Amino acid sequence: MRCDSGRIGGDRWQSLPILQRILHIVLIIGTKIRGLGRHAPSASKHQAYNVYIRSLIRGPHDTGVVLRVPDFLSPKLVGKRFDSHSIPLELLGDLAVLEGMLVEVAKWRYLKENPGRKRSPRKFTDGISLTLTAVGEGSAVAKIALTLAASSLLPTFPTEQQTYLEQARDAIVSAIAAASENKSPTDHLPSSALAYFDRLGRSLLQDEAIEFPRCAEAEPARLTKETRQRLLKAAEVNEWTEEIAVRGVVHEMNQKEMSFEILLTDGGKVPGPVSDQHYETILEAFNSYRQGSRVLIDAIGRFNRSNRLQRIESINHVTLLDPLDLPSQLDELRLLKDGWLDGKGVAPTAEGLDWLSRAFHENYAENLPLPYVYPVAEGAVRAEWSLGKNDVSLEIDLTQRTGNWHWLNLKTDEDEARTLDLRAADDWNWIESKLQALAGTVS
Amino acid sequence: MNGTTLLLRQIHPSFVKLGRVTSQAFRPTPKDEQKLSVYDGDLITPAAAWQHYRARNLESVGVLAVTVGECQNENLPVHSSPLVFLEHAEIDFTGLSSNACERTGKKLKGAAETRGWLYLA
Repeated sequence: MRCDSGRIGGDRWQSLPILQRILHIVLIIGTKIRGLGRHAPSASKHQAYNVYIRSLIRGPHDTGVVLRVPDFLSPKLVGKRFDSHSIPLELLGDLAVLEGMLVEVAKWRYLKENPGRKRSPRKFTDGISLTLTAVGEGSAVAKIALTLAASSLLPTFPTEQQTYLEQARDAIVSAIAAASENKSPTDHLPSSALAYFDRLGRSLLQDEAIEFPRCAEAEPARLTKETRQRLLKAAEVNEWTEEIAVRGVVHEMNQKEMSFEILLTDGGKVPGPVSDQHYETILEAFNSYRQGSRVLIDAIGRFNRSNRLQRIESINHVTLLDPLDLPSQLDELRLLKDGWLDGKGVAPTAEGLDWLSRAFHENYAENLPLPYVYPVAEGAVRAEWSLGKNDVSLEIDLTQRTGNWHWLNLKTDEDEARTLDLRAADDWNWIESKLQALAGTVS
Repeated sequence: MNGTTLLLRQIHPSFVKLGRVTSQAFRPTPKDEQKLSVYDGDLITPAAAWQHYRARNLESVGVLAVTVGECQNENLPVHSSPLVFLEHAEIDFTGLSSNACERTGKKLKGAAETRGWLYLA
């Protein structure tokens, strides 16, 4: 990000004689080239200069003239997903918001500096575009260029547009920095502009960030899930959107209105639209409601200021789940409170359930029969399998991370008990081999 | 009470998943002091037992049962305990190791499941 301060244009500029203007421009070009040299990557440096200079020397009424600022913005995406120096397509949707946001903030800056004007000039936003020109290394750095239509040449170089767009960029970055430092973002942007953060940063996962370089030696402004929440709160919006993954059963569907309602594990009901591509899956889930069929919906959800999911805005994917889907069963246990067993049961801890969910995800093979999961009075969790005449149980201590395995053949009375270390892959392999053998005897 | 007497066991909603009952429902928890509480089926019907249980503000989705004979096959004594209330009885797991409790609970649950729900709310 450049932090230029010298600008030409405006009334003072217009009043200069032509010769003086040309002399001034020669000086400015020299400054700009040195400036670009500091920031443009060496491979594209000469090309950047050429584009830049070409844009300056075309005729004053050449409508094809464009001004291109190659290193206008270089946000760095930080997180595991970006380690291979690539940007997931869904993140590009976030970055795309920058263009509209930038224009709106530039207009706001213009009106702020021109209090006599009621609106920005008619062609103020013409020809503005942001383009992703490259993905640089360093996690992943999105190289974003600014392109402007230059409707007139030297007398207005650099254009008024560019000045305001650069101010807008700096204001956006400053607002993010303020939010990440728990300061007020509204010192830099109006609430209406902060509402753009409903989309910008929405695709970020926990432990991910978009870092926007700042002037001089300042730390980059970090947009994270938390920072985005602060920006949205400052925006004073009543609702905002988040990417969500919810599990539940489809208990209502209206085929005329093409809508449905999902009953979540915690008892909450959330409506959403049915799009053509998800119609069959949602209908199947609805028809098998009585069999307990669950779905996993990846979607954009709309939340209110109490952070409560109000409705599903749009669906990315719908997946039909097994009625014994393990994460869903464990989520049900999260709802238990101490005293759940007629005043005496201990609720399993959230931390323990998180660990167990991860442990099953990492160690439990897809082809194994899914267990029925129950709470245990002392705060443990119990997985049980009915495999023909084989009654199998694994009682899991969430604190010790151990499991008491017990198998009984109800026909022969043969049984086996064993204590397992569920932090050890070998013990999960042992469970797998046992279950495969028992399931094999059933089929 | 004789070998064919049904011992009615109330099933807590958390002990049923998609219609399948955990074998925990047929073994005492540590708070039970090794005694599993049941209703004497000679003295009360499954429906009345469920209503009585719910009237005590205890949770139950229905009633399963094992017989006194099935308990005796597992070497489990069965006692009436009318001091709690008239129809109350206990299946005594005293002295059984945790593995033996596990095994016995599974066997009793198997017998009860084969018999099916005697009352379902």
